[in-house]
Amino acid sequence: MMTWVRARRAVIALGAIAALYMLAAQIGHGRLPDRIWMGAHYVDNVQLLPTWRSLVEEGTFLLESKILVESIAVSTRRVVLGLLVGSVAGILLGLLTGLATRLESLADPWVTFFRFTPALALLPLYVVWFGYGESSKVLLIATNVAVITFLGAHHGVRGVPRVYLDAAASLGADGWLRFRRVILPAAFSSIFASVRVAAGLAWVTIVVAELINPQMPSLGYLLALAGAYPRVPTMLIGLATVGALVFVFDLLGLLLHAWGTRWMERAA
Amino acid sequence: MTASASPPVLEAVDVSYAYSGPTPTQALEGLSLELKENEFVALLGPVGCGKTTLLRIFAGFLRPAKGSVRCGGASIDGPGSQRGYVLQEEAIFPWMTVRKNVEFGLLAKRLEASERRKVSEELIGFIGLAAFEGAYPRELSTGMSKMVEVARVLATDPSILLLDEPFGALDAQTRQRMQDALARLWAQRRKTVLFVTHDAEEALYLADRVLVLSPRPGRVKATLVVDIPRPRSFETRFSGDFLALKRRIWEATGLQGPHGTEPTTA
Repeated sequence: MMTWVRARRAVIALGAIAALYMLAAQIGHGRLPDRIWMGAHYVDNVQLLPTWRSLVEEGTFLLESKILVESIAVSTRRVVLGLLVGSVAGILLGLLTGLATRLESLADPWVTFFRFTPALALLPLYVVWFGYGESSKVLLIATNVAVITFLGAHHGVRGVPRVYLDAAASLGADGWLRFRRVILPAAFSSIFASVRVAAGLAWVTIVVAELINPQMPSLGYLLALAGAYPRVPTMLIGLATVGALVFVFDLLGLLLHAWGTRWMERAA
Repeated sequence: MTASASPPVLEAVDVSYAYSGPTPTQALEGLSLELKENEFVALLGPVGCGKTTLLRIFAGFLRPAKGSVRCGGASIDGPGSQRGYVLQEEAIFPWMTVRKNVEFGLLAKRLEASERRKVSEELIGFIGLAAFEGAYPRELSTGMSKMVEVARVLATDPSILLLDEPFGALDAQTRQRMQDALARLWAQRRKTVLFVTHDAEEALYLADRVLVLSPRPGRVKATLVVDIPRPRSFETRFSGDFLALKRRIWEATGLQGPHGTEPTTA
């Protein structure tokens, strides 16, 4: 219920920003310079702030040529796969180190090591190891996602209040029952919060990876291509598409999280 | 202790326990006690006298540094569902409905869903929460949550109940209602109960025997047999026998003191 109210407010807020932009573009139309220096040559007919008319034209072209839809499909697929692989790996490892104190000292330095390694610094290495195709990109996302979800799962397990474990043990629950019915539900919120953060990060990773290593079709490629021309309407539509996808992913995450923690007392 | 033909169900012999750490604390020192079958014993003592430590030792979460604890003659070496333990803290599982909470111990015993349901329905009805069967704990009051915890422990039909200040966080009125509910439960399905409290009246109202503990390190300072007939009622609390016993408890704590001294156990 609250989720829908928040979603509606978010749409209104985004709509307001879009309307302001349209207004600025309309005012700037004909007044802004349309010739820019690109470092080596001049480019004419550059729309610094495209009006809604040229955005609609460009959007229609991108839709009719199927470029946008295909790009979305390819990039989304990479994000979903990377998110799945990374989450499974990260959560499993986090649960393990959360339960077994000895493993923690083994895993912890590696997590710290990778936590602040920029994802894209790994890209050249991954391209060499896993090739130019899908695997290097998916694995790049997975690496990032795994680090974050590892932390969520590890601290989620460590944060389960002692009283619940004691109560369960004294009711005769064995380790497996305690894990399934006490530790997992108690840690769910922390785990899922980390998955949500990781989902946002997955989009950052993939779009930048596709910009650096652009292949058709993909959202990163679309943006890279638009930059080469340059075509500002394409850039704006590409950016808005990425934003909308992040928004949808986050909303899905929010709904799942709310479902998984429906027992929790929630502040309005 | 009183000589008895039947062996003690629960006993502690010369138990000592100390917490290590930056400020080592001797919680218990040479404490001995025993509970007979179906006896309701209240353990009364000031805050910090080691009551909870003793209960955690009986529950199997702590091992005495010295001395021994036994349950039905066997040494206690870990938690087990024959000793139903209600923690002092709120330990109801917030992610489970009332019914799932009550059925948890039966799940551990691998009972079928229909059998679990039969037990939980009866117990939830008995504590008067049938309407809340499908509710999550956040919808319950503190007193209701505590009763669900008691029911959850009773579901596995333990022979012993270890209750750690179950009504400590309640207002006086609710506390009295909960005491009556517990007394009814105990009358219906006899158990050996060790009930920790810092409230003298509560101890007297519920127990067959009250053990008064000394301040830290805790040891049994006095034993009072409460020979007030059951069922006890609101009137019991104001009867002469009751008040006389209450006075003896205060005297046993040694805190009746000169005029104007505030007792610290209230």
